[in-house]
Amino acid sequence: MPYTLWFDRAGKEALALVGGKNASLGELIRAGIPVPAGFSVTTDAYLEFITGSLKDKILRVLSRTDLQDVASLEEASRVIRQVMAQTPFSQKMEEEIASNYEALAKVFDTSDLPVAVRSSATAEDLPGASFAGQQDTFLWIQGIENVLEKIKHCMSSLFTPRAISYRVKMGFPHEKVLISVGVQKIVDARAAGVMFTLNPLNGDPSRVVIEGNWGLGETVVAGLCNPDKFVVDKVTMVVEREISLKGTECIFDPKRREVVHADIPPDRREIQCIEDQEVLELARYARKIEDYYGCPQDIEWAIDKQKPFPFNIYMVQSRPETVWSQKRKEPILGKKSVYEMLMEKALLTVKIGS
Amino acid sequence: MAEKKGFPMPLEVEYPKELEGWEEMYPPMYMFSKDRKEWEEKHFWFHDKIHAPEAMYPLDLIFHEAWQIALAQYTTRVFCIPPAQGIAQRMVGCYMYITPIAPPPPEIIGEKAGHFQKRVFYIFDHYDELWGTWLKKFKALGEEMNNIKVPGEFPKFEPDDTVFPEPRGYYTSYEVIDAWDRLVNLMIKGWQYHFQYLNLAYLAYLLFADICRKLFPGLSESTIGKLVAGAYVQMFRPEEELCRLARLAAAVPAVSKVLKSDIPAEKKMESLRMTAEGNDWLVEYEKSKDPWFFVSCGSGWFHYEGSWTTKLEIPFGYLKGDIERVEKGEKIERDVPSIDKARAELAEEYRKLIKTDEDRKSFDDTYRAVRTIYKYAEDHLFWVEHWFHTIWFDKVREFGRLLVKSGMLKGVDDIYLFNRFEVPLIMEDMATTWALGEGVPSMFQYWQAKAEKRKKILDAAKKWNPIPALGTPPEEVAEPFTVMLWGITTEKVQDWLKGMAVVPGEVTELKGFASSAGVVEGKVRVVKRLEEITKIEQGEILVCPTTNPAWAPIFTKIKASITDIGGLTSHAAIVCREYGVPSVTGTGIATNVLKTGDTVKVDGNTGIVKILKRA
Repeated sequence: MPYTLWFDRAGKEALALVGGKNASLGELIRAGIPVPAGFSVTTDAYLEFITGSLKDKILRVLSRTDLQDVASLEEASRVIRQVMAQTPFSQKMEEEIASNYEALAKVFDTSDLPVAVRSSATAEDLPGASFAGQQDTFLWIQGIENVLEKIKHCMSSLFTPRAISYRVKMGFPHEKVLISVGVQKIVDARAAGVMFTLNPLNGDPSRVVIEGNWGLGETVVAGLCNPDKFVVDKVTMVVEREISLKGTECIFDPKRREVVHADIPPDRREIQCIEDQEVLELARYARKIEDYYGCPQDIEWAIDKQKPFPFNIYMVQSRPETVWSQKRKEPILGKKSVYEMLMEKALLTVKIGS
Repeated sequence: MAEKKGFPMPLEVEYPKELEGWEEMYPPMYMFSKDRKEWEEKHFWFHDKIHAPEAMYPLDLIFHEAWQIALAQYTTRVFCIPPAQGIAQRMVGCYMYITPIAPPPPEIIGEKAGHFQKRVFYIFDHYDELWGTWLKKFKALGEEMNNIKVPGEFPKFEPDDTVFPEPRGYYTSYEVIDAWDRLVNLMIKGWQYHFQYLNLAYLAYLLFADICRKLFPGLSESTIGKLVAGAYVQMFRPEEELCRLARLAAAVPAVSKVLKSDIPAEKKMESLRMTAEGNDWLVEYEKSKDPWFFVSCGSGWFHYEGSWTTKLEIPFGYLKGDIERVEKGEKIERDVPSIDKARAELAEEYRKLIKTDEDRKSFDDTYRAVRTIYKYAEDHLFWVEHWFHTIWFDKVREFGRLLVKSGMLKGVDDIYLFNRFEVPLIMEDMATTWALGEGVPSMFQYWQAKAEKRKKILDAAKKWNPIPALGTPPEEVAEPFTVMLWGITTEKVQDWLKGMAVVPGEVTELKGFASSAGVVEGKVRVVKRLEEITKIEQGEILVCPTTNPAWAPIFTKIKASITDIGGLTSHAAIVCREYGVPSVTGTGIATNVLKTGDTVKVDGNTGIVKILKRA
């Protein structure tokens, strides 16, 4: 019963232990894709946490909660999450997480390595899980105390009002819905963003569409900026660019010791945020990842400030693209013969003018 | 309505005073007229800068007369492409304008569909064997033209052997008249053959392009072109033969020394004839010459372009360069197998991206069909516009020499100042005068005065900038050539409208078709007249109304090409892709806006040309 698993040791077979997001990082590593190092705090760790001394406390709160009453439900959620935050992990669990964090930090010659702490759900269709995935990403967390705190915060996301009421409604015992948490070295990003292995606008499977902004990728993921956009032909690798006026970036503020949204200085606003060679390298990774999974992907990436190309490029997340992948099961052209198509074409006229 | 759209009506065009009399140079049906005004104004007429970028010599119009009939009849009467009709031509102050004719009534479309289905499907099914028989037939036609005997002069007395043992019954007068008629008829027939499969090849291309765009909405036109383009195109043979001859020469110092020298080509030949090695090389040269050097120095559409057989400096100039490169250890040949392999790999890569088996099958089937028949579109070009036309020009010059010898015209090429209906009049005048006996005057002053006047009109026309289009822009075009070859699209029409109001000095960017991928910066060389092509220097960007495959060897010199007109399968686009030279075609106004020496950035991926610095 491991409390933690390094990313490279847990792929899709370990989904129940490490959740979808972390398992997918494991898969990427297996596919030879550069992924920032890190480990999962497993669902076993979560289960032990909530079934220990916490279990009674949680049940007590819930027993006096009116699940139909929004205010009451919210109060229960607040109390449970507070209790979870105050309850320490078992010593053994804490030691294991701490020793993993130390080992990770040591690789980079530091003791307080900045990491990203993210929840990783085991079941995509649980509202609590998917909300957790969106809300609970903590960037630039340093020091084991802070890391432990954020891990707990991620775990307690299964006790949002909505998650609680969903489980009760569906008759799921609380200890049957589990969550894992990922602790991953953060990429000190010069630029970051997302990319699709097809064109999300028209489903064109021959394109990789890359969107990026200065700083950490959160501005692109959350749609807080007009990103630079690159459409790359997967075969010819010809790139079409749209360079945007970029206003806001997400960066670490050393004074405030936290990640902040900051205005991009005027001299960088209209500058292409990733170099051409980086665009091409990203597109190559996109193809590799899509080939590995065998279906279109939606990928988050980041480019390290310090490292030289091509060692500066990292994938931090990959998940299946859903919109077009569903449609693509049907043939686009129908089942016509060349002659039927030729006849159709011959009967067509080409529209000209308005 | 016309004013709203912005193009003048045909009869509203104003001509410079110096062009006065231009109408009489061309057949009457080439004139816009009050009688046909209603029909003519309904159509959209644009200057055919692809085939007729320059002021038209009356006799050079014969090719156009021939294609107007041939192209249209295959569409309307033979293969019956249902909604499509022909392309009509008119002359506007020595420049040729064309229009795709509006679709026929619905009942005709239905009737045509029946024929189309039966006939076109048959052609697609039997294409491989049909191409072989076409080529055989076409070569025989060229031989027949080559064998036409043009008398070198009118004899004082017909020789004995035309009288004994039995008088022949017809003599030089008839021979001349008959030879001209046969020559003209063979040209018309050649162009009927020219379109035998071309409409269908273009249709297949359009179908394939459609399918590609459905599967990959973002696929660039230049990539589609690349997928279809064959590597083993016969238009490249002349250049391949030069490479072969250059290698042979490079191995024999006695030969290469002569060929590398700076004396005129004729002198090089003379000097080679004096040595055994030189003669051996000349034997090889002769082997290549027919048919492969029967290639125009330009497009093949103009008598003054000359061919590699008449303008020896051109192939010998290329040979000199090739030999020098061979000696430096450079590779001069196109790597055909690897071009072909690259194309096959490209197709396979896209094919792998197709998501369902059904779509993959549709792609495979259409790709196979277009690859089979599109070879025709690529290969007919050498045989018709180059080989066949070169034979024609050589024969016409024989007539030209006869006319000069008989005192009818002053210069051999003056024959080109008369259209094909007028030339027989001069021939008949010449034959009649000869037949009537000694001391009988011909009308030579009349013909010569006409020739002089027409030279002046044509000179004036060359300085005149005709407007891009006339009449009413159409709402739709069904004619495959209009879209494929001339690249007439909504944007194009809009650009022309804009272009009419353009002040060339104020333009900073041009837009056209992204015809061949790649981005480069450099200085431009504007080549409006084909003769100026020799001025191009290494590393310049070629700017011209349109380019031709016969210019192939200069594509190793230039960095990029920009043309006024031409779609993705225009000759320029095909060659540029072959040579990996970035190209933007169909900009509409490049030769007006750019000046030699301007610095531009050509983006063959997006079809945009940015003007960075004016000369």
